[in-house]
Amino acid sequence: MGWFGTSNSQPSPPPPAPSQDGGFIAPDRSARAQCWDGRDSFFKCLDRNNIIDSVREDEKAKKLCAPELREFESACASSWVTYFKKRRVMEYQRDQTLKKLNAEGATSMDSSSAGGAGAAALSGK
Amino acid sequence: MSASFTRGLRLAEPSICRQCATLQSRRTFASLSQTPKHQTKPRTTTQTLGAPVPSNITSLGRRTYKTVEEAKSRAKSGPFSWQAGLLFLLAGAGLTFYFRYEKARMARARVAEANKGIGRPLVGGPFRLTDHNGKEFTQEDLKGKYSLVYFGFTHCPDICPEELDKMAGMMEQVKEKHGAGVLRSVFISCDPARDTPEVIRRYLAEFHEDILGMTGSWQEVKDVCKAYRVYFSTPPDVQPGQDYLVDHSIYFYLMDPEGDFVEAIGRNFTVDAASKVINDHIADWRGKIDRS
Repeated sequence: MGWFGTSNSQPSPPPPAPSQDGGFIAPDRSARAQCWDGRDSFFKCLDRNNIIDSVREDEKAKKLCAPELREFESACASSWVTYFKKRRVMEYQRDQTLKKLNAEGATSMDSSSAGGAGAAALSGK
Repeated sequence: MSASFTRGLRLAEPSICRQCATLQSRRTFASLSQTPKHQTKPRTTTQTLGAPVPSNITSLGRRTYKTVEEAKSRAKSGPFSWQAGLLFLLAGAGLTFYFRYEKARMARARVAEANKGIGRPLVGGPFRLTDHNGKEFTQEDLKGKYSLVYFGFTHCPDICPEELDKMAGMMEQVKEKHGAGVLRSVFISCDPARDTPEVIRRYLAEFHEDILGMTGSWQEVKDVCKAYRVYFSTPPDVQPGQDYLVDHSIYFYLMDPEGDFVEAIGRNFTVDAASKVINDHIADWRGKIDRS
């Protein structure tokens, strides 16, 4: 996923500490929780301002959700920030597709009813 | 020729008949020494050989009732009674339950059998890694117990931690059902550049103390991922301390005590559903299993 460089102006958590055997220590449970909290409050702000894709609408998000974004970026590694932003878009699109399918009366794969092949073809997308 | 044959037969006749005569008498004696089968009362009177006194035939084969009421109710209800009805219902319920159970078991056996493949296993195979204590770990070390194998990396934003928490839940539920020793849980890193034994050990301790972490050289990890049909995107040459993510397939691989692949458990499974799958497979296992 991530090959996204950080611009120097952005706040970011301290880089992972090297371990004694040459690896790099991953964020622990509390660091992850902190990052997820930052993500959630930033996403709530995006929801309030009707922004789905905070990568494409970077300027707008930076202007409207500046404090949340700063907190988010200071708690999560930049690869994680990008990942969560993209995942939000992906999940939105998935939900939209599901909604569209439900509106069209498509049946889910689990139910064995007529037209299952059509639903299977659609959900296979 | 035929004449000489019949003569021969005639000559043999007396000896055969003598034999049957003795056999006959022997049988008579034998039947007398045993308790007679078709008699309700033991004979008290002495009898002469070969001339048994006919016993009371009318008392045989017909049931006697103690009272007239009993006989009447018997005649009214025929051969049906509440005991017979209960027995019928119990047998029906028992058979239904048994057939459903067998059907589910056969379905699981089919899954396990289908995944065994012919000749070469479809998933799994030889590999060589280093566990989080620095010891070598190969496919041979996987045998003896059921194994739950998960691929991931410690710098994973959200999916791996969620899945590892689920793994810990599954381990507890299997422990509850089958004891502590039957399932071995393994975490294999797809990010050997950052995930050294020390890093993995510290990381996994937060999820469950019994998860054994694995890493290796980039090539060793590549090989095990290939064997398990796991896609991963770790670049082979990364700078120390570089910030990147690893894309990888998200499945739990259940392997049987012979090291054969049984079933893949996806992210859509809840802890309860996944534990049930594992517990059922373990219950079906008829071979040897190391419970230590």
